[in-house]
Amino acid sequence: MDGARMWHVWVAGGNDFQWCFSQVKGAIDEDVAEADIISTVEFNYSGELLATGDKGGRVVIFQHEQESKNRPHLRGEYNVYSTFQSHEPEFDYLKSLEIEEKINKIRWLPQQNAAHFLLSTNDKTIKLWKISERDKRAEGYNLKDEDGRLRDPFRITSLRVPVLMPMDLMVEASPRRIFANAHTYHINSISVNSDHETYLSADDLRINLWHLEITDRSFNIVDIKPANMEELTEVITAAECHPHQCNVFVYSSSKGTIRLCDMRAAALCDRHSKFFEEPEDPSSRSFFSEIISSISDVKFSHSGRYMMTRDYLSVKVWDLNMENRPVETYQVHEYLRSKLCSLYENDCIFDKFECCWNGSDSAIMTGSYNNFFRMFDRNTRRDITLEASRESSKPRATLKPRKVSTGGKRKKDEISVDSLDFNKKILHTAWHPKDNVIAVAATNNLYIFQDKLN
Amino acid sequence: MLGRGVKRKWSCLEELEAEEVPAAQRQRVLGLCLEKLQRYQAGMELSLRRSVLLINTLRQIQEDMRSDGAGACTADVLLNGVHPDSCLLRDDFREDMSVTCPGCAEDDGASLSLSPPLSPEFPSQEENVLPDQQKSLPASTISSFSDAVNAMGYLSDLALDDIFEDIDTSMYETSDLPSLRSPTHSSPASLQSCLMDLNELDHIMEILVKS
Repeated sequence: MDGARMWHVWVAGGNDFQWCFSQVKGAIDEDVAEADIISTVEFNYSGELLATGDKGGRVVIFQHEQESKNRPHLRGEYNVYSTFQSHEPEFDYLKSLEIEEKINKIRWLPQQNAAHFLLSTNDKTIKLWKISERDKRAEGYNLKDEDGRLRDPFRITSLRVPVLMPMDLMVEASPRRIFANAHTYHINSISVNSDHETYLSADDLRINLWHLEITDRSFNIVDIKPANMEELTEVITAAECHPHQCNVFVYSSSKGTIRLCDMRAAALCDRHSKFFEEPEDPSSRSFFSEIISSISDVKFSHSGRYMMTRDYLSVKVWDLNMENRPVETYQVHEYLRSKLCSLYENDCIFDKFECCWNGSDSAIMTGSYNNFFRMFDRNTRRDITLEASRESSKPRATLKPRKVSTGGKRKKDEISVDSLDFNKKILHTAWHPKDNVIAVAATNNLYIFQDKLN
Repeated sequence: MLGRGVKRKWSCLEELEAEEVPAAQRQRVLGLCLEKLQRYQAGMELSLRRSVLLINTLRQIQEDMRSDGAGACTADVLLNGVHPDSCLLRDDFREDMSVTCPGCAEDDGASLSLSPPLSPEFPSQEENVLPDQQKSLPASTISSFSDAVNAMGYLSDLALDDIFEDIDTSMYETSDLPSLRSPTHSSPASLQSCLMDLNELDHIMEILVKS
């Protein structure tokens, strides 16, 4: 097997396969409306539904197309199931500030009945949405007239039992709970707890714990706001509940550290149980060291044994039993290290890239610039760079691995660092919980890719 | 230097990046830091994460300038030795104001606190501050930094203006700079570079504050 092919073939779960294009959603227009930019992507627990949120405050839910015998390759095909306006722009009159409608995060609740529930949040307000289907309606009431007015009871001479009649399938999204007024700063994370009854929400300085049924109060479980705001040197950047232990959660900070807290220890988890930090390499120290070490995302593995953090240039996998350094470090785009000053100037250095695990925790995925995204196989230590682009968006077209030339001469098929488009960034990706199907948000487009067995 | 309205090309930035000497890069990062903080004044609620990262970068540049100064001026080294706790003090907000006084680090180090006493809540921890050394802080430096911090918004709980209100800035004019020529400065070369840096910074401030 030659080198190029080795990169080409992705190995996961013992099977060789390549990634191929499945679908792309969203307009092709060159002019992208700000409101259409996708700001979060999330599969539900079964992978049957895929939700996206955008800067315009909308949530679009896609449903997996049922496979049939004639079309067995539909694994990666999703169709629009429901679209609704989750958040509206608001104005904070006390602070004279606009509150954006942008959806920062979506989190699904485990399914417990025929309906689906999800949490969506903008900077300030979290909402619980119920998404339910209706394909029947009741007919034959005689208590009301055609206009819906109650009829005079004396005129009703017989009691008619209404019957359920089939009708076209209707998907309804209704807001069930609105969790407002608990965050002074911008909400960056929400995470449903494994008890399925509570969830946490984190802003820059505080983390609150909510009961899903109770909207008028929440418990403040972390507060790092100093008495004097002048002493503020660190903010919370992401937080997540442990997938199995409902008393454990982690939060990451702008200083590149992660704190694990146990809610059994105290009501206010100001003192962490574990503190994960990697010693800084003095040789790579620069003015940007702190900015690039700021963690933009933290995710527990499905197993709950590991967690993954994303900083500006790398992804790190931490064993929860080892606090002094990550067990694995993957460079996402190390070639940008020499460009940090420019990336600082054009504000890209503040971009918040997210990361995700595959269903078996054997591979991880995260985004980069130029519509590139990266995958790392934890067992083979192989990595691959793929591109979400319209050019390769023919059905079942295999994705060609991309390579950025790093110093020296640029080889054929390589892209030089200087020609990368920093406006095309992939911040949000999601991996199907059980299958090799991935969803990649590229500005206003959602790409869905799937594996193709060799 | 490119003229007004001329778009800087990406490649031109990269060249800079490759060749830039640390001091020049520091200057550029400093300018950008202030510019980015200043830009917040209008419009949306700023991101706390961004502003904290920017302020910390400013702090780091300040540290860096200070340590540069230490190399150029022995008085500073000595004083640093005398005040082992000075590092702690440097985390103090007041120190941030002197971030805008770069090459003066040696002078800064000598006094440890260029910033004038702010208010009763912030009593001066350095009783040995010489009045003429205080003068080396240009008035525009104070106002622009407080503007930047105000713009940052996260200090909104604290009325910064109240703190600065009591300061009589009339004495901190740039014309007082010659007062830097105090006997403690043994190296005229370092003084020269200090003045240049200071002028340059003053210029940045003027643009930022539009004064």
